[in-house]
Amino acid sequence: MGYLFDWLDRNFGIKKPHRRFLYRPIPEGVNYFFCLGGIAFTLFIMLFASGLMLAIYYIPSESEAFASIVRIDNEVRFGWFIRSFHKWSANLFIVAIMLHTIRVLIYKAYRHPRQLNWIAGASTFIVAFASGFTGYLLPWDQKAYWATEVGTSMAQTVPLLGPYLCFFLRGGEDVTGATLIRFYAVHVIYLPLIMCFLLWAHFHLVKRQGIKGGL
Amino acid sequence: MKKVAEIFFTIAALVSAGLYLLFAYPKRIRAKKTVYVYACNEDELPVQGVRQYYLKYSLRGQEVQKKIFIVNTGKEQFCLSSVCTHLGCLVAWYRPENKFLCPCHGGQYDIYGNVTAGPPAAPLNKLPIKIENEKVHIGLKL
Repeated sequence: MGYLFDWLDRNFGIKKPHRRFLYRPIPEGVNYFFCLGGIAFTLFIMLFASGLMLAIYYIPSESEAFASIVRIDNEVRFGWFIRSFHKWSANLFIVAIMLHTIRVLIYKAYRHPRQLNWIAGASTFIVAFASGFTGYLLPWDQKAYWATEVGTSMAQTVPLLGPYLCFFLRGGEDVTGATLIRFYAVHVIYLPLIMCFLLWAHFHLVKRQGIKGGL
Repeated sequence: MKKVAEIFFTIAALVSAGLYLLFAYPKRIRAKKTVYVYACNEDELPVQGVRQYYLKYSLRGQEVQKKIFIVNTGKEQFCLSSVCTHLGCLVAWYRPENKFLCPCHGGQYDIYGNVTAGPPAAPLNKLPIKIENEKVHIGLKL
């Protein structure tokens, strides 16, 4: 692997432009709590990979969605593992982001000049929650249906715009196949794209500004 | 330390790639064949009306029992599956009303298996009957 990478690097020169990031100085007072962001990112990569795999077998249709989930669990080789992997990674992803946020809060790393990075991070948090919410509908079972029914109806409490927002989220008056396809598209295309952009911005700022040291 | 990390990541990459290939490689799906299962002797068939039978056979090494109905209307004889076409509950023959009733959501079928009330969208499945040497066999797709 090392040889392979070295050969690639000799020809492709991928290390050099990232020198500043890879060999940047780390301030004093850094401890293992500074790994939480990295853990969250690792979980994101794991989610991305297992999501790509699930996309091969999942069918986003009203009549086929649940059957395809059952097929993934019972018939596809390691399907049960990949699906559980995706589910647990998603849960741990949220946990890791929360702990990372708390760490940043405690170390006051959100202060000037890192306000924009805090905003990027908070947006990532929102996108992660949105991914969780949209992904929850995809098994298309009773739990998924009613969770979405309740979740989208919360949008109705927004002043003035509420009913329109709910109509927009559901793609109609009720949670139907239209909602499923909507949530599927958002879950597998829109949000991962936004997430990649936000994470790029997040890491770019970390690279530019360096890590805020210990207390 | 660097060497250990290198070995670790190489193994992790290879295992992931293998897992991916196993996962993505499609399974060959066996086409279902019609298998004839013994139901009863010919003289046990209903002369007129509906009688239920339990077919016993083994599926993937497990003993399975399946309820079916053999119907004789006086003009024709046929076999109906007991699986409700709505959500798969087992229907029962209700003599006083001459109907098959489903206990789950109130689906009703007449003696021919056609839907007369309730949510089912399709009539009860008809199963082929084969009589050989005075023994009745019912065709199941296994």
